[in-house]
Amino acid sequence: MTVAPKRLILNLFEMNCVSHITHGLWRLPENNRQRFNDIDYWIELARLLEAGGFDAVFLADVIGAYDVFRDGPETALREGLQIPSNDPLLVIPAMAAVTKHLGFGVTFSTSYEPPFAFARRISTLDHLTKGRIGWNIVTSYLPNAARNFGHDDQIAHDRRYEIANEYLDVLYKLWEGSWDDDAVIADKENLAYSDPGKVRYINHVGEHFSVAGPHLSEPSRQRTPVLFQATASKAGAALAGRHAEVVFTGGPTPSGVQKSIAEMRAAAAANGRGEDAIKFIVQAGIVVGRTDEEAHEKLRLYKQFSSIEGRLAHASLPFDPTGHPSEITVGEALRREGKADLPFAAFLPVDQTIGDFLVTIDESWDEQFFVVGTPDIVADAIESWLDDVGIDGINLRQYHSFGTAQDFIELVVPLLRERGRLRDAYVDGETLRERLFGGEPRLSEPHVATRYRGGKNLDNPLPPLTLTPQL
Amino acid sequence: MSSKTTPLHFNAFVMNTASHIHHGQWRRPDAGQTEFNDVNTWIDLAKLLEAAKFDAMFFADVSGLYGDADADFDVYVTEGLQIPSNDPTVLLSALAVHTEHIGLALTSNVAQNHPFNFARQLSTLDHISNGRIAWNIVTGVQDNGARNFGLPKLTDHAERYEWAEEYVDVTYKLWEGSWDDDALIKDRERGVFSDPSKIHKIHHVGKRYRVEGPHLPSPSPQRTPLLYQAGSSESGRRFAARNAEATFIIAPSPAIAAELIADTRRLAVSYGRNPDDIKFFQGLSFVIGDTQEEAEAKALEYEQYVSVDGYSAHSAIVDKTGRVYAADTPLKDVDTNTAKGFVEWVSQHITDREPIVADLALSRSRDTRIVGTPESIADTIAEWQAAGVDGINVINWVIPGSFAEFADKVLPVLRARGLAQSEYSEGTLRQKLFGQSLINDRHPAARYRGAFSDGSPISQTYVEPIEAKS
Repeated sequence: MTVAPKRLILNLFEMNCVSHITHGLWRLPENNRQRFNDIDYWIELARLLEAGGFDAVFLADVIGAYDVFRDGPETALREGLQIPSNDPLLVIPAMAAVTKHLGFGVTFSTSYEPPFAFARRISTLDHLTKGRIGWNIVTSYLPNAARNFGHDDQIAHDRRYEIANEYLDVLYKLWEGSWDDDAVIADKENLAYSDPGKVRYINHVGEHFSVAGPHLSEPSRQRTPVLFQATASKAGAALAGRHAEVVFTGGPTPSGVQKSIAEMRAAAAANGRGEDAIKFIVQAGIVVGRTDEEAHEKLRLYKQFSSIEGRLAHASLPFDPTGHPSEITVGEALRREGKADLPFAAFLPVDQTIGDFLVTIDESWDEQFFVVGTPDIVADAIESWLDDVGIDGINLRQYHSFGTAQDFIELVVPLLRERGRLRDAYVDGETLRERLFGGEPRLSEPHVATRYRGGKNLDNPLPPLTLTPQL
Repeated sequence: MSSKTTPLHFNAFVMNTASHIHHGQWRRPDAGQTEFNDVNTWIDLAKLLEAAKFDAMFFADVSGLYGDADADFDVYVTEGLQIPSNDPTVLLSALAVHTEHIGLALTSNVAQNHPFNFARQLSTLDHISNGRIAWNIVTGVQDNGARNFGLPKLTDHAERYEWAEEYVDVTYKLWEGSWDDDALIKDRERGVFSDPSKIHKIHHVGKRYRVEGPHLPSPSPQRTPLLYQAGSSESGRRFAARNAEATFIIAPSPAIAAELIADTRRLAVSYGRNPDDIKFFQGLSFVIGDTQEEAEAKALEYEQYVSVDGYSAHSAIVDKTGRVYAADTPLKDVDTNTAKGFVEWVSQHITDREPIVADLALSRSRDTRIVGTPESIADTIAEWQAAGVDGINVINWVIPGSFAEFADKVLPVLRARGLAQSEYSEGTLRQKLFGQSLINDRHPAARYRGAFSDGSPISQTYVEPIEAKS
């Protein structure tokens, strides 16, 4: 008996800005990235991805500027590094209006904005798209973001995850508990649009939020959007174990990724969820050509346009290696900047020379989940990531918009289909959750969100996620 | 006095819900508003309105339920009275891509989003729509709405407007002051996308907000969206006089509108603005017939669908426990906190029998209603214009029928008289209304242009609203 091969979840990694990940490359000939303010960019992209069989477009976001490197946002601004950037939620209805199947994974932070308006916005999007919405849960890591929302500095890392847990609890009550499925009756004869016996306040009162409800939107197809989470940290794993359906993760080595997957599976199991309750996706860099030479020529061009300063600023590197002689060590450079004793120094290769350090960063192209070559080589690599590393899908990194997606669609998608790794066509009317998991459009038990169905447990809050020492 | 007629502006007043203003009408066979969850309902309507050269679609919104937040909510839920209702912000993006000219106005309460993120959302929409976005600034009227955002009840009236002043101040700084016009260089050779010396942090420090900046989006076509306001209270009008470029009024008569308009324009002048820096939109609904008899018959037919409970609940004609009165309750037995004047007014006008609660609802449904032929409706609209009104917010009975009928029957007559535009003029929404894309120099937002360019942190820039000189 043969087992059907594991199917690839195929997302395009995007952000509503010029320079998302591959800094400097916006200057490539015919790169469309500069058009991100223009809604036609997003419409063309959505049509392309749907014609090419992509599952979803995954929209990253930040709500601040990268201003750690060189103590200010200047480098980020010069690079167009995630600034200027626009809101990601708002391009979705435009993309949804020109597609039928393409899913959307959209990033929104749980740290700074009240949950009530967000819950309604997501329900509205799920209605507008007929169930094609996923939400990428993040807690925000930029210090400038914190200062845009009234804080002196970032909320402590683990604390942010505790807040996220309560934030999710409020959302579940609104999405799952506030309205019954049959609450909207639209009974014209007896004048009853909704049945008040099937709609309820949530009256959430917690440590961070107090929200009365009822939810203003009626239940959408998925109710709770597909829950993505981008994390590799311990606190993140604890949150994911309880909540996430798809985790966007990474790590320096395949075994690191496997370890992180195992950790999150264990966390899911500890929450009574099945071993395969969570699917894992990674960011993949793929440079494909009809021939090996063609692929490597593309890579050469990409490297030529690549900006190391963009990478240094993106990494929020708290010192400036470009301002030091290449032969001194990173440790010496830190000493010269008076930063040798700061906590981040422990994470840097202090014995490496500045020259080698910069080369390492410049060549971080060749990190894992990176492949350059013919369609066969690429398809082989993807199969190995699926079967040997154990991931379930990729967020395809863009070097060129729309060249990267076009190449993948033209050269790789047909092969993956041949090998049973991608479906041949979309299923009409399918929600994003059904596409990714089979089964139902809505979350199923034992996911914690389901505890509020029918208004149960609204007065019995989810236990807090305790990650920081309690006083 | 000029003899040339100026065309009025026309907005479609709508909400992403089943029962917005005219309660009970969703039961009509031709009521498409029950399909409000379906994006195509709104896309089709937007196309219809654009073909008819409407100036804008104006989306109302709420952040909770009406009425007593401690009473049960049965009547609102049963009526579909603005619940269920969906967010208008995300809907506008879908409408923007299916239209080219029509303005898109959304309502957003200062309590519902942090101003940093809200400013970014509106800049994004203004980019998407090529400068067609308006923001109707509201401070909330609902205790339940406040409770959805962690507050025990609605913040005190005057304090809400003080809050709103700081909120708009943060958004003005982000929209007008954070990015210079020539900040985007897009220089491929040198690899410089933006010029850092032309982008500024705002360092806002105020009573409720501390916001560092910079604004994340680059300047959109209008920068600050066109600013609407709809409050009619004393503090609401002061806020409008200072901040609004358009206000939405529901005056009971042209004479009262004229007073209100003159008063607000006077206030605007006291804030250093010109009298015509604010445009006034009167809300009206129409019942249109080819003859007056036909129109009257149609009005009666609409009245059969009037839901007494719906109008009572929306106008807070409720008892001490927050419940609506039975339709046949005599008005002398009605004891309400908030609508006493209205109850008395209706009581005085019914002298031939015992006035009852149903009379209140009927009166409400007729409040803004003009029943007539296209010609007589055009006459009435001309009267409103003579009173100083610049535009009409057309309130609907049914979607899309009320707008289709207005477009087919009334607009041609108005056009023939020079009272409605035949073509869109070029440019952004503000350009169409005021002849320029950016907010004018007299507006408080304008003082932040270039205000942060010396790089010094400008803290404590929030100034208390200037008191109007009487």
